Amino acid sequence: MESQFLSLFEVSIAFEESHLFFPRIVSWVLVGLLAIILLSKSNRIAPALRRAGQAVTQGSDGFDRKRFFGTILLIIVYFYMMAVVGDIFPNTGFGFLFVSIPFIFLLSMLYVEHKTRKNILVIAVTAVIAPTLAWYVLSQLFRITLP
Amino acid sequence: MEFLSHLSPMFFTLIAAGALIGVIFGAIPGMTATMAVAVCLPLTYALDLTNGLALLLGLYVGGISGGMVPAVLLNIPGTPSSITTTFDGYPMAKKGEGERALKISIVASLFGGLFSAGVLFYFAPVLADFAIKFSYVEKFLIIFLALTVIASLTKNMLMGIFSGVLGVWLSLIGTYEITDGGNGETRLMFDFMEYYLVAGFSLLPVLIGIFGITTILQDAEKGFKGDAANPTIKLTKGSRFSLRVFKGQLVNLVRSSSIGTFVGMLPGVGGSAASVLAYTQEKNFSRDSSQMGKGAPQGLVASESSNNALTGGALVPLLSLGIPGDSTTAILIGAFTLQGIQVGPLFIGENLDTWYIMIAALVIANFLMFGIMFFAIKYIAKVIEVPKHLLYPIIVMMCVVGAYAINYGIMFDVWTLLIFGVFGYIATKVGIELVPLIIGFILGGSAEVYFVKSLESYGNLTIFFTKSPIAVFLWVLIVLSLVFAIYLKMRARKQANLVASN
Amino acid sequence: MKVMTTHLRKLVCAVAIAGTAGASMSSFAADCPIPGNLRVVIGSTSTGGDTYQNSSIVADHLAEKLDINAKVDAVGAMAGFRALDRSRNGNTVMIFHDQAYLGNLYGVNGYDDIFEKYIVGPTVAINPGNAYLVPKDSPYQNIDEVIAAAGEGEEIRVAIQPGGVSEIGFSALKNAVKVEHPGMEDNVIAVNTGSQADKNQLLFDDMADVINGSVQANEQYTRLSEDDQKAMRFVWLTARNETIKQTNEEGMGKTSREDLLQYVNPNVTVPQSESQNFTFDKEFFFLYNKDMNPEIVSCIDTALEEIYAQGDIQEQQKKSFFIPNFKPSSEAQAYLKDKRDQYKTIIKNIK
Repeated sequence: MESQFLSLFEVSIAFEESHLFFPRIVSWVLVGLLAIILLSKSNRIAPALRRAGQAVTQGSDGFDRKRFFGTILLIIVYFYMMAVVGDIFPNTGFGFLFVSIPFIFLLSMLYVEHKTRKNILVIAVTAVIAPTLAWYVLSQLFRITLP
Repeated sequence: MEFLSHLSPMFFTLIAAGALIGVIFGAIPGMTATMAVAVCLPLTYALDLTNGLALLLGLYVGGISGGMVPAVLLNIPGTPSSITTTFDGYPMAKKGEGERALKISIVASLFGGLFSAGVLFYFAPVLADFAIKFSYVEKFLIIFLALTVIASLTKNMLMGIFSGVLGVWLSLIGTYEITDGGNGETRLMFDFMEYYLVAGFSLLPVLIGIFGITTILQDAEKGFKGDAANPTIKLTKGSRFSLRVFKGQLVNLVRSSSIGTFVGMLPGVGGSAASVLAYTQEKNFSRDSSQMGKGAPQGLVASESSNNALTGGALVPLLSLGIPGDSTTAILIGAFTLQGIQVGPLFIGENLDTWYIMIAALVIANFLMFGIMFFAIKYIAKVIEVPKHLLYPIIVMMCVVGAYAINYGIMFDVWTLLIFGVFGYIATKVGIELVPLIIGFILGGSAEVYFVKSLESYGNLTIFFTKSPIAVFLWVLIVLSLVFAIYLKMRARKQANLVASN
Repeated sequence: MKVMTTHLRKLVCAVAIAGTAGASMSSFAADCPIPGNLRVVIGSTSTGGDTYQNSSIVADHLAEKLDINAKVDAVGAMAGFRALDRSRNGNTVMIFHDQAYLGNLYGVNGYDDIFEKYIVGPTVAINPGNAYLVPKDSPYQNIDEVIAAAGEGEEIRVAIQPGGVSEIGFSALKNAVKVEHPGMEDNVIAVNTGSQADKNQLLFDDMADVINGSVQANEQYTRLSEDDQKAMRFVWLTARNETIKQTNEEGMGKTSREDLLQYVNPNVTVPQSESQNFTFDKEFFFLYNKDMNPEIVSCIDTALEEIYAQGDIQEQQKKSFFIPNFKPSSEAQAYLKDKRDQYKTIIKNIK
């Protein structure tokens, strides 16, 4: 009797398939939870989607489209260019250095509220000093690999 | 006490230098204690064993402590184990109590560090024998316990659990590594993604993406106008630090430090579980936890004392079994072999001098870390007065460095930052809770390995209950933590209803 | 403002070009087309392990000899192969060990045939420590008894990390059972696990009869008293007899070279075929991109030859329990290919 009861819980995992065992369990739990959530909140989903869509396409008071999408775009260009420039100067960290300077400058310019002379000067100086310092200390002193 | 002759001025200087560099590494989002130790390891070639250890232990203690700085000031955990520090640290910083929050954290860190050094010194061999009682099954249950505590950290139970499971799911993407005893096959992806996702998403880029980049995107959405651009936070506002906050915290300190030390001791469980466990235990068992998550010192105390207690804990298996307790101590093994010293069960007995030196270095490192941090805090805390249009681009840059360097130069880790930054942004919009998600992500990988290996070894699910008295005890804790979480939720709801009806 | 940034950019570019020019100047000095900044990726992600240690010894000597910068990056096997794929100009080279082809033989995802896909470079060292251990109170006194027990139908569980260096000894053991007791080889069962900590744990939990380990990591466990749950005993070192003979006389810890020699062929025999005994040395060697300039290949060969002729590197390697083992590219290629083919036969034989 007892052994029968125990055998209910027997599990055997083939080594070749063992990479799927746990992910399958987690996936099913996840799908189950998602179904519960969707069912319990179904009436609130459609209006929320509509609001979000409006904010993205037409902008709204609480949503600064220029700064939001500008940030994402700049980061994409930043990451992409870093690898490209890094390949021109391999294993030197110059890719990081040369691309970080304009990136910091442009992102700061995107974010700053009042483009006064003083602000721009501070931004320009920061944009040069910060990456150079980071590059020198990390890449040259500590020999950390940079792009 | 022959070892005292080794304690030269050089010894102290190196510990101080190590602690300082460590604090800086820990304080930069994306740089970790492990990285600090790794990059400074070559420097020890030129030093003898005593001085080399002084430098490395200084780095280790400094690096773990430094993580509190961005956690409190920027809401970005500097190291994975300082996630829970953000819960109360950042709300305090927003109230203008950044300096106070940091000082509380530093005192708690000092206590945790010294506590674990003491435990290491007096009990290492005994504890090592206890630690090997934890096989796959018990380790899985510890992780499961840490996962169940997610329940008490959520705002909405259902969404919180979903987020936690989603975190686990995300952590499984990639290869079931042969170095973990897996079969090296990839899963949860389409074939075309395999080139990039073969190693899955790395923890650190995910963490700083979700905390760092997401925050930046959220602020960018609001547009940096008025208040947001020039923070009105003044450091001098709010109540000042005094040691009186620690009144009534002794139980919390000892409990959290013990949890930290113990979790640090278990190889493969992952240090981040320590602060999560300590934080939730404080939340569940303290007399008044209503303020936790809104800027309560007790939360900082739990989080920071436990994560600094990891240091002594992780050295237990290293020095008494020859097995590293975490990724940083794994590098220390390299330092020992370089000096021709073997670590293993006989290490302490055969290298008494080195053993005393390490304990001395650990204790001194904690005090020096305390000294450096306590007096530098005034200046460090000024970071939040820097206008965001200057600060944020630099944070992005440092996140890139951290992400790229964590696996020694992999560009996909940098892209992971952006992927999870955007993901985190959208996730918060749809009500997914990021903290449970990240805890699930941190623990998911080891949960899988220990779960699958337990079943491969024993072939029966009942083993999780019948393996040993330790397993039964862990189940009691798991049930208790769930019951408490539900009880606290209900009490909170009742109180909210009371307030509403009044 | 724009003017200012372009100026700046020009300035930084100028500095950079000057920098790289300076670097390439110095490599000219050694009469070698090798880049001034060399990245050495390794197949392990650990910076505390043997691959990293050995690679940094070699990289440091190489950098000094060629007057370049060389940096070891512990990126791991998959990322390492990928970095190598991308680097046609020789900016990145890889140092790895037998895992590189064993992974392919065991069919692990992501391991291609290195002899086809890359240029196999010189070998530099051996880690002689690959070992198999049993609990101190195990009924098996030596590997012969283990093989005999399997032949008599006893189940032998061996804890290994699958798919490579850790598994090859297991495969050889299984093959030996097949050679001596045909049909009984399935009694040797692999318990797949990960780190050394996990392997030890399986032994403590009595979930394995034999574990794979190393002289370096397990020597102290073999000196614990028998009543200690953690006590172990070496039964087999896979290294060749000549390899162990080259270790320093003190051996490792309190286990001398003399003691270690008890556990290697011919004192311990694991038959590979009727006529031959199995041995396995974990050897570290270079891997290059297929399109890399052949001059760089010969340049690294020459540089290493000079380094090994000087003799400092040998001392350093031996101090860290590595056996120096320099073979220039062409010799190394033929040697490793032959080694691979032998193991291929074993693995095929027990499939």
